[in-house]
Amino acid sequence: MKRKTTFWDVFVIGLLLLGGLSMLVPFFWMISTSLKEPGSLFDLPIQLWPKKLHWENYRQVLTIVPFGRWYLNSLIIATGLTLLNLTSGAMAGYAFARFRWRGRDAMFLLSLITLMIPAHVLIIPLFVIMSRLGWIDTYYALILPGLFDAFAIFLMRQHFIQMPKELEEAALIDGAGPWQIYWKIALPLAAPALATLGTFTFLAGWNSFLWPLVATNSIEMRPLTVGLAVFNTNFSTEWTLLMAGLSLATIPPILVFLLAQRWFIRGLTLGSLKG
Amino acid sequence: MNAFRRFPWLFILPSLVGFLAFNAGPILLSLWISFTHWDVFQPLSLENLVGNWAGLDNYRRMLEDPVLKKAFFNTLYYVVVAVPLEIVIALAVALGLNRNFPGVRIVRTLYLLPTVTSVVAVGLLWRWVLNPYVGPVNLFLRWLGSKVEALFQLLHLPVPATVHWLATQGPGWLQDPAWAMPGIIVASVWAGLGFRMLIFLAGLQNIDPTYYEAAELDGANNWQKFVHVTLPLLSPTVFLNTLLALIGGFQVFGLIYVMTGGGPLDATNVLLFYLYQKAFGEFPPDMGYASAIAWLLFVILFGLTVIQWQLRKRWVLEEA
Repeated sequence: MKRKTTFWDVFVIGLLLLGGLSMLVPFFWMISTSLKEPGSLFDLPIQLWPKKLHWENYRQVLTIVPFGRWYLNSLIIATGLTLLNLTSGAMAGYAFARFRWRGRDAMFLLSLITLMIPAHVLIIPLFVIMSRLGWIDTYYALILPGLFDAFAIFLMRQHFIQMPKELEEAALIDGAGPWQIYWKIALPLAAPALATLGTFTFLAGWNSFLWPLVATNSIEMRPLTVGLAVFNTNFSTEWTLLMAGLSLATIPPILVFLLAQRWFIRGLTLGSLKG
Repeated sequence: MNAFRRFPWLFILPSLVGFLAFNAGPILLSLWISFTHWDVFQPLSLENLVGNWAGLDNYRRMLEDPVLKKAFFNTLYYVVVAVPLEIVIALAVALGLNRNFPGVRIVRTLYLLPTVTSVVAVGLLWRWVLNPYVGPVNLFLRWLGSKVEALFQLLHLPVPATVHWLATQGPGWLQDPAWAMPGIIVASVWAGLGFRMLIFLAGLQNIDPTYYEAAELDGANNWQKFVHVTLPLLSPTVFLNTLLALIGGFQVFGLIYVMTGGGPLDATNVLLFYLYQKAFGEFPPDMGYASAIAWLLFVILFGLTVIQWQLRKRWVLEEA
């Protein structure tokens, strides 16, 4: 149904644009500040954009702070978590979808119940356990907790249940074992679900903060989030440096998001089930 | 395919190990620790587990802890203001964006930019944006205030004190105890909006357009269509979104850590931040008490979920 553009439409679109603009203003301010001369920030009148661009802020921030290493850590942690999560989640999901054994439904229910336990309850005991194992400040402490994820299991189980069984049954008749059927037939067919779940898990791992904050203590082991937070504490008034660092930390992920937006949106919408 | 009638060890094992070692085990351990005066410098041994038994000490202590009380009400303040704001604005934006106009996808993307920015980065960014002296928010408020002030002067009316204050000073975001939590809330609504909007958009796109056509035939205007078609059909999504926002709200941590560190004068100290302080932020760490706080927070979240599910029956239109 096509209808005329009314005053109301124009008004709504105007408001939306204004709102969208206010999403951009903080980022603009970040970049503008990062290029200003240190010590000039409080000069009046306030400059919206510096006349001379001080790129050396970026060079300086890179000499104080190991941004490369932090990126690498975030990448390792998020990738490790995602791979672990997908591998174990898809395997268990397949088991719950296609196998039958006594107590299966009880086990599945038990794993779902853990979704009710918020992550913060786990922080202290995990810290105690990881200290005992000597894994604090290692990738083990940051990645291994991803071994079990009820949400991943639930999601993959749903996906495998909805999948037609014919191909798998044919393979069974041809003499393939469950392990072969899983790797050669079921898993490749689950690629879209894996991709969506993977996007969400990666993003959650990339943005995780509280556990890495607790589980790391050396500069070299920090992911980007923790590194930024500590940088923020240590240089709390050096705004040009802080904003240069922040730009380095936020702009690349935003660019990746813009390139892979479709996947992100699917992953996010899906992840909302988990919250 | 019911051929696999056995326990699939190989498939289950990784998750089972993870479940026992990093989930069920820690949950039980956490519960136990909350009943002890846990000494973190002693090894994780039976002796330490049993020897430091404190009974209900930690839970009793919560009743008399003024900071915990403050943290509880701060959390409540945050949730009660931030969640409805976020939900209402996100719904409005989603309704606006659920139509076709040139560039709608670009505008949608704009709202999503904060979503892919980590909470820590958002906090750091807004600590600067909300700077009371040179931050763009107060620059704008002062500009707005001065225009209103000029208008009053033009009309020869006495200038209200608030307007003058806005024109010359503006809110002391994050630094003044009264303006610290509002500052956190502004940042958190800005950051959380896109994600909530995305969920609403997904819900809106599931509404069958024939409902609207029928309503239009009955002569319904935009508002009537919203109240009688959109809202009832969207109620499951509103419910889900609110519940998730509430649960997330009670666990606010990153923004607080970066923007105020719980200050000034505990004005933004919230439950999860207080837990963190007790367990990792001060010496000696008080793991027993911190664990008790963790379970308090769990009980709140659990109760909230139960209440919401009860309410759901009343105000959510059931999915047929």
